[in-house]
Amino acid sequence: MSEISQNAVSGGIPAWQGRAVARALAVAITAALVAMPFAAGGSWTYLLGVCFANSIGVLSVSVLVRYGGEVSIGHVFFVAAGAYAVAILEHRLGVSILVSAPVAVILGVALGIAFAWPSRSISGIYLAVSTMALALALPELINNASSWTGGYEGLYVSLDLIPGAPKGLQRYYLPLVALLAVAYALGCLRQSRQGIALLLARSHPVAAEAFGITRGWARLSVMGISCGIAALSGAMLAYASSTVSPSGLTLWASIFLLVGSVVSLYGLTFLHAIVGGAFVTLIPQFLASAGAWIPVLYGVALLGVILAGNLGPKLRDAVGRRRSRP
Amino acid sequence: MTSMQPTPLEGQGIALSFGGIKVLNDIDVAFQPGEITGLIGPNGAGKTSLFNCLTGAYRPQRGVITYGGRSLDGLPTSARAARGIVRSFQTVALCPDLTVLENVMIGLARNGSAGWLSAFLPLPGRAWEREHMRAEAKAALAGLGLGDMADMLPGMLPPGTLRLVEIARAVLGKPSVLLLDEPAAGLNVAETRDLMRVLRQLSTPELVMVVVEHDMDLVMSICDRLYVLNFGSFVAHGTPDEVRRNPEVVRIYLGSEDD
Amino acid sequence: MSAVWSAALDLFPLLWSGMITGCLYALGALGLVMIFKCSRVVNFSHGNVAGFTAFLIYGFSSGTLLELNWGSAVVLAIVAAVAIAALSYALISSLVFESDLTATIATLGIGLVIQGATLLIFGADIVSLDLPVPRFSASILGLRITGYDLTVLAVATATIGGLFLLIDYTKLGIAFRAASENAFAAEVCGLNLRFVHLFAWVIAAVLGVVGAILIVPTTFLSATTVASFMLQAFAAAVVGGFASLPGSAVGGILIGILMNLFTFYVSPEFSSTFLLGVILLALNVFPNGILARARGTRV
Repeated sequence: MSEISQNAVSGGIPAWQGRAVARALAVAITAALVAMPFAAGGSWTYLLGVCFANSIGVLSVSVLVRYGGEVSIGHVFFVAAGAYAVAILEHRLGVSILVSAPVAVILGVALGIAFAWPSRSISGIYLAVSTMALALALPELINNASSWTGGYEGLYVSLDLIPGAPKGLQRYYLPLVALLAVAYALGCLRQSRQGIALLLARSHPVAAEAFGITRGWARLSVMGISCGIAALSGAMLAYASSTVSPSGLTLWASIFLLVGSVVSLYGLTFLHAIVGGAFVTLIPQFLASAGAWIPVLYGVALLGVILAGNLGPKLRDAVGRRRSRP
Repeated sequence: MTSMQPTPLEGQGIALSFGGIKVLNDIDVAFQPGEITGLIGPNGAGKTSLFNCLTGAYRPQRGVITYGGRSLDGLPTSARAARGIVRSFQTVALCPDLTVLENVMIGLARNGSAGWLSAFLPLPGRAWEREHMRAEAKAALAGLGLGDMADMLPGMLPPGTLRLVEIARAVLGKPSVLLLDEPAAGLNVAETRDLMRVLRQLSTPELVMVVVEHDMDLVMSICDRLYVLNFGSFVAHGTPDEVRRNPEVVRIYLGSEDD
Repeated sequence: MSAVWSAALDLFPLLWSGMITGCLYALGALGLVMIFKCSRVVNFSHGNVAGFTAFLIYGFSSGTLLELNWGSAVVLAIVAAVAIAALSYALISSLVFESDLTATIATLGIGLVIQGATLLIFGADIVSLDLPVPRFSASILGLRITGYDLTVLAVATATIGGLFLLIDYTKLGIAFRAASENAFAAEVCGLNLRFVHLFAWVIAAVLGVVGAILIVPTTFLSATTVASFMLQAFAAAVVGGFASLPGSAVGGILIGILMNLFTFYVSPEFSSTFLLGVILLALNVFPNGILARARGTRV
């Protein structure tokens, strides 16, 4: 019985083989990405650096969905917090990304918990609505604190991590390393006591309470983790693109992160993150001249993936039933 | 919890109503440690509601619930869990994304001390704690005959097995009060027999075990005492034999000639 | 004494115009809450659809698409709104029963597609869309009442009144209330939930069109105008408790007044931040809505 059921889960391919293939693929792609700057031109290096930063952002949204069962369209707020933290620390204190990135993460965690506090024990729907308000309030806050944030013009981030080393390469490798680190940390989370507790709190909140896992703790933990990762994404975005400006920090940016998350099937691995980040970074690049098609394409992709995910198993069942009839 | 003197779980004068509907009418109970107590009665009698009051899911309008001599008033479910009061639910509450072993490990979730940093980094202290938790969970599963299901997902297993997994999860944290809500619901005869064996195994002198059940064979064969609830009040209380002979109980279950 | 009087003179017009815009927010909130009550889905595409239909009215009446009179353009746009609502629901109906989280995310997808359609068909233009209302204004107690104000009041009251009559007295309305109370029990009694959901979506779309028509004359119509109005509607729904229709109406008026007071007395630059604060405060102080607080929390 166990063999049959395991095959059913992995679609005929033994589970251990499926995992080995995925791991091999991840290693191959990582190797290719590490070697890429020496093969391709500077514009690709820049673009992929930004892509890695966006991939981290996609992971932050996926974490919220996977571990918290909630949707946020306000994560751009935490991305901005991280980005501006890096830029402001550089401008005011001359601090390099090595120090400001961890500060950004801590700031993201704190802001996430503070934001989720009022709704910590009630339905996630309210969190979703308040995230929309958060994203819309962001431009007001940025523009009105212009002495700190540089207002409409934004800020430059020019300090190198390793003084003297080629700028383009640093702007590429640091976000890549950060992305790999986040994927690894999330893998650890899945195996940890807290990760298991959060997953039960998501699927059966009442039963989780009976084991001492309160809704409030679960909500705040997930938001803390998710917003910390989002802030790191912002820090890497600021570093990869060498600027922070409010034009890219809108409600749309949040929604696009969510699209990337859906398209990557809310996956929390390195491969999933790359897929999501690439979708969100490269498509606007290629459709720059036909900008109005971007929301249409994203919307169709989002609906397509969701509906396929929903109808897929049903279709598979229907086909299976037909086949098993004598 | 295990170092406490075995004490009963008691409730006095519990009254619960929703709007105008009286669910529990001045109930007095004393569930003794070392015994398996059965809570039976027709559907809608208030059995699950009584459980909900004991675990903190509902707040009774009147009445005092004490355990270990201390009142449980105002304590939320998670705090009562910390005092050792654990329950199972009518529908299986296992996380479908976790393996059986991981689901059982939840039973120890409260006892872990590894902090957040070790959740994200492979620190040595956390690895030791995790291995310890895994070993305990594996032992609990093996004790119930479920050892080789450890790495399977709940979706692949029959409901009888899942019930046993839930019980493994519940007992892993060494609870002092175990409240089981219809554990035999949906189980076939063989699975019910397995369940009965397991429940008898679990009973220790310190453990207060209360079982809500409809399956009379199970109740009569494993319970040491029975409380019979009907329309929110107790109509009988005693050993299975005493209850079985109580004419009021016979009337409730068999009804008048027409039923 | 005169200081108080001049403060009052400032206050009355603010309260009045706040109440007027509040009616519009109430219309928006009602659409959101109707859908949420019966299907537990938050329809994030509400604003985009309403904006698109406003553009359609512009397009149908100005010669860009067709050259009809305003009345026919509105009717055609309402038909289009109903069609969009039906199509949207058809797309996500299977999701609604499986997971309201996924269905909510799907509404974001629909919103994106509609937003793209708006941009594609009408470009990034900014146009003006006026209401054909009598240009009339009167002054009572220092309060300036315009034809627009009265139109909004009349239409909003009629619409909200009609909605409550529909929900309280028609079969469909009763079905809606049953499905909102306990969907499972309603289904067991033979109610077709999909029909109820469709009813709610269509009503919400019509409310959106009405709201958009009334909002746009006060500013201009661009691809983002109506959607940015949605934040106020969401805030009104949260204040009203997201599951209470009367609460949404009250919430709308309250938000309208509070917004006006805030932009006048504090600053117009922080209106979204203010709404964020209102939402977080409402969640903390009365999570079941402002009316529930007065009546006692529901179980």
